[in-house]
Amino acid sequence: MKKTTNHKSELMGKEITFTVSEELNKLQGKVLAQKKLAEANKLLRKLKTPLPK
Amino acid sequence: MNYEVYSKIEVSDDFNIFDFISTGKNGDILKRVVFSKTEEVGVYNLALGDVEEDNEMNDHVITDNGDRNKVLATVAAIVEAYTKRFPFRWIIFRGNTEERTRLYRMALGLHLDELSSLYEIWAYKDEQLVPFTKNLKTTAFLIKRKIS
Repeated sequence: MKKTTNHKSELMGKEITFTVSEELNKLQGKVLAQKKLAEANKLLRKLKTPLPK
Repeated sequence: MNYEVYSKIEVSDDFNIFDFISTGKNGDILKRVVFSKTEEVGVYNLALGDVEEDNEMNDHVITDNGDRNKVLATVAAIVEAYTKRFPFRWIIFRGNTEERTRLYRMALGLHLDELSSLYEIWAYKDEQLVPFTKNLKTTAFLIKRKIS
């Protein structure tokens, strides 16, 4: 039995069903989208203002 | 906002990896949305890409499957669910290209009132964070759920 949860989007007014995937579970903990992440880290390192409270 | 979304989404148990199928003029394309922890505590990077045959994610591809609004609306719905689960996490995102970042800026600007009711929205500009306003040229965006 696959584990599912439903989410009703407040913004879209639509319902989405999330189904847990064993294939995606195998990717947990791995660094995905490395280039995008590296770009984000570079921006955050340069940030001169703290994150808003 | 009244956009169609892809309503069947696969997800990892930790709620950080999401897959859905984009159906358009180029056929069915598996899309992946990933939230990754950055070096800044509490900030997570949002990446969207296509899943290739080797199950690797290509986050620099331009798919052009003719369903751009539906894909963006689906990503927005995923962000909504994600930030509901993790309301204290900041999400940073940007486009792969200036044009894509401009598209995100236009989408945020177009729906700023609705989005602002749910999120704090900040823009990364000149190495500083400033409140996002319509048409503000920016490098990236940071959002977080408003805590009521």
